[in-house]
Amino acid sequence: MPEIKIDNLTKRFKEVVAVDDLTFSFPEGQVTCLLGPSGCGKTTLLRMIAGLEAPTSGSIYFGDIDLTQLPPRKRNIGMVFQYPVVYRGISVYKNIELPLLKRNIPANERRQRIEEALELLNLQDQADKDSSQLDNVSRQKVSVARAISYHPDIILFDEPMTNIDANSRVQFSHFFKELSKKLNQVIVYVTHDQTEAMTLADQIALMEDGRMVQCNEPRALYNEPEEVFGGWFLGNPGMNFIAARCEQAAGKNVLSSSFFPSPLGIATHGLDREVTIGIRPEHISVSETALSNAVNAKVKRKSITVGGQFLLVIEVDQVEVKAKVSHPSNELMSAKSVWVEFPLEHIVLFNQHQKRVHADLTYLRK
Amino acid sequence: MDTVVEFKAVSKQYGKLPVLEDIDLAVKQDDFMVIYGLPSSGKTVLLRLLMGLEFPDAGDIILRGENVRHMPPKVRNIGYVPQDFALIPHKTIFENIAYPLRLIKKSTLEIKPVVQRAASMLSIEELLDKLPTQLSGGQKQRVAVARGIVKETDIYLFDDPLAGLDFKLRERLIDDLRQLQDEIAACFIYATSDPIESLTLAASIAVLHDRTIAETGEPRSIYLDPRHLSTMDILGFPRANLFDGHLTKNQSKLHCKTDLFEFPVLIDAGLPTMKDPLAVTVAVRPEKIQIVSDIDVNFLTADIYLREDLGAEEIIYLNVQDCSLTMVNPSSQNGHYDVGDQINIRIDAASFFIFEKDTGNRVGKGINNFNA
Repeated sequence: MPEIKIDNLTKRFKEVVAVDDLTFSFPEGQVTCLLGPSGCGKTTLLRMIAGLEAPTSGSIYFGDIDLTQLPPRKRNIGMVFQYPVVYRGISVYKNIELPLLKRNIPANERRQRIEEALELLNLQDQADKDSSQLDNVSRQKVSVARAISYHPDIILFDEPMTNIDANSRVQFSHFFKELSKKLNQVIVYVTHDQTEAMTLADQIALMEDGRMVQCNEPRALYNEPEEVFGGWFLGNPGMNFIAARCEQAAGKNVLSSSFFPSPLGIATHGLDREVTIGIRPEHISVSETALSNAVNAKVKRKSITVGGQFLLVIEVDQVEVKAKVSHPSNELMSAKSVWVEFPLEHIVLFNQHQKRVHADLTYLRK
Repeated sequence: MDTVVEFKAVSKQYGKLPVLEDIDLAVKQDDFMVIYGLPSSGKTVLLRLLMGLEFPDAGDIILRGENVRHMPPKVRNIGYVPQDFALIPHKTIFENIAYPLRLIKKSTLEIKPVVQRAASMLSIEELLDKLPTQLSGGQKQRVAVARGIVKETDIYLFDDPLAGLDFKLRERLIDDLRQLQDEIAACFIYATSDPIESLTLAASIAVLHDRTIAETGEPRSIYLDPRHLSTMDILGFPRANLFDGHLTKNQSKLHCKTDLFEFPVLIDAGLPTMKDPLAVTVAVRPEKIQIVSDIDVNFLTADIYLREDLGAEEIIYLNVQDCSLTMVNPSSQNGHYDVGDQINIRIDAASFFIFEKDTGNRVGKGINNFNA
């Protein structure tokens, strides 16, 4: 089955540019999560693919077919919304059957497809239930079953977990993962929740202000952000950013910051004077005893965070950073000042335009 | 330090529905007291009782040393950031922030510097001439907080002010609120249903569960050494794993047994004589479950129901026999576990806390018994 391609796609609402000249493709058999803060354009993009919103300019292709001018019902797309769309007063079975009837699918094939959808979503026991008796998760599962039963080419999910409580999210995510492995369609999933995206996606397309910031497999996006925005948006808390200077000294490029005990050699060309060092909280080494490449820092605050880890706010030269420590010693927890080291392999550098710069860092001294 | 707010055996019910029962709570000046409870646990009611917007059915509330029973709300002099912070749509941000001061008939001359100070604390000075419709969600929230702190007083209440905001905005506002309290040096009483927000902001936490305060204390001490099941159960993300079990005495040694585990127990000092056997709830935090690669003593085989990747850490939901378990693995760099995989896990007996099932009070801890 082919992929979806969008080509120079733009959508304006009066003077607001919701989607700004995007060119991108969504591969078949994969879950692509459109991730970003509210107003980034992810929902508008999804709605244009569905045909619910007409692009201002640009095209949308499904394989070789130009979908841009086709009305929604001719696109063969299944869609799952924030609010589960189920018809009350009729059974789960009938709910799934409706779109098949509309498409004039013969009775025996209908039965087969409904049973297949019920099985995929583990809804067999609920087939005869009136859909108004269902809880939110089951209702959302019914809308998914409906969306897949008529074998659409593309399945779109628009923040489907918005109205599902925290406990049932685990259940929905579980079944989504199982389901997506079995489906071969193009799956596009919109969310603002980074954990949801990291958990469910094969690839994440991170968006900001109508543009695509970066598209990668989840761990690659987390570990190797191409822009400051990606480092900040993913992670809880996000990456620390520290201003640093890049200068020429004794014929070498050196990088200095109060978080390094001595300047670092930096192998790159054409780097700005001012750069930004990015490092994730969990990658900072913190110790109550001196580490080899560490500097002394003041502990400003400490608190317990996810999974009983400790979040330390530490300060060097009036710059604060957050460090996550998973198994702190008692000595470390009572220390007012600590040693911090930024392991070089975890440092990500950004230029003045907030874009990633690839450069090897080394300690100059022996 | 002086106690500025005190609840003494306060109860409140709506019709026949009890909302708060026998609430005892003391808040000191300069404290950052978080009232932490699940949604609809009565946090808002508790704050409204203090504001004078609701009246207790029993008990007393002491405000700055004075019983408030006959004190009308407007003389209680408390700053308030409500959960539903609707701004007045046709008034400028300046006027929205100034509103509590207009209510107590302050002059514009007096109001101006105070509003400006509040605005600068929340970095919204440049918004003062705008209308609410021109602001983003996060900016509106800052305006609501500025409006809450504009009244210069020694006690401020916050009713879950970050609920419904997106994740990244909350991260930033949590930092701001902490700093704000440092600057104002007043007593903050802050209600929230987010465990990490509670643990990050609080100087002290009161856990409100099952209509009453289960436990009060510093975040670190009640998280690491909970005295009540409610604290263990709800204070933490992800929530703790709970199991039903029995505590029995066997030749003067105490022994705990659940469907999955069996281990010796060290009873807390100073407890009265207990029933034998005693019905207990055994609890273990998700971070205490470890993945073992080799076949270890006391390991369990678990099926992965879901693996959530939080970036810095992963939450793994497991099925072991008929039980569901949640574990946190602080390093998710590997990312090679997935739905349907099997892993071996172990839990040190010393990670178990044991609570009496009927009362929720802690009775003891598990002890590692390597010689067994």
